[in-house]
Amino acid sequence: MGFNQLDPLLHSQLRLAVMSLLISVETADFVYIKEQTESTAGNLSVQLDKLSTAGYIEITKQFEGKKPKTTCKITQKGVDAFDTYVKEIQQYLKP
Amino acid sequence: MEEKELTPHESMALIQSMIGKARKRYSDNSFFFLLWGWIVLVASVGHYYLSTFTDFEYPFIGWSLTIIGAIVSGVVGARRGKKSQVKNYTDKMYAWLWFSLGMAMFTIVFNGQLIGWNTVPFILLLAGVGTAVSGAMMGFRPLQIGGLVFWILAFIAFRQPENYQMLILAGGIAIGYLVPGYIMKANFRKHGV
Repeated sequence: MGFNQLDPLLHSQLRLAVMSLLISVETADFVYIKEQTESTAGNLSVQLDKLSTAGYIEITKQFEGKKPKTTCKITQKGVDAFDTYVKEIQQYLKP
Repeated sequence: MEEKELTPHESMALIQSMIGKARKRYSDNSFFFLLWGWIVLVASVGHYYLSTFTDFEYPFIGWSLTIIGAIVSGVVGARRGKKSQVKNYTDKMYAWLWFSLGMAMFTIVFNGQLIGWNTVPFILLLAGVGTAVSGAMMGFRPLQIGGLVFWILAFIAFRQPENYQMLILAGGIAIGYLVPGYIMKANFRKHGV
């Protein structure tokens, strides 16, 4: 299998990091994801939007007092895509 | 995090590292163990003292503290949940475990009259389940030992009159909740884990 056939949405450093984080938890907020992935707010925002548009994650925006709070959750479609990606990578890594 | 072309090895390493970051060891839940430990200790010792050494009509009065405990636990738990930046499945399981056990304990005490107020052994068993499972989830041995102690004390409590059951409960709560609670609190203060 060619390496270029991997899901382009997941085969990107920051998006893959976000998905790996979200697959392990129920929900995580923007600040937590930003800290764990050591990314900038601007770049993370763009990548989260891409994942959300693809239906891989759900983004909820709400206010906690006056502070906006963005929460992300992986969807079933996202879990399936992640599983497929991991299987393909494993296939590639097989000797 | 810089954007660059990933090799399969880098992909795998990244996935493993992020999953490792998300896997939390355990939260500091010592507050709840200490809150309930002290409430039950005061109520059970008070119950024993009042029913053995006085003619007070309501020796069980101390148990009304459990209402305050339930409200405080609910408020603190909800506030912590709201404040936390990430929701883990283990935290959710933990909350549901203790909520279910709390409901079971309430049901037993509420219907206590129907079983001749022989409630303590059942409370000890339920507390033992919660403590042992919490200990296993957190990988925290003092709680697992506490669970074992609750189970042994339940065996003894079934064979004792209500008065002595109160003392057994007090002993169980001291070993099963308070000791692990204080160890957990000290660990978090020292290492943050």
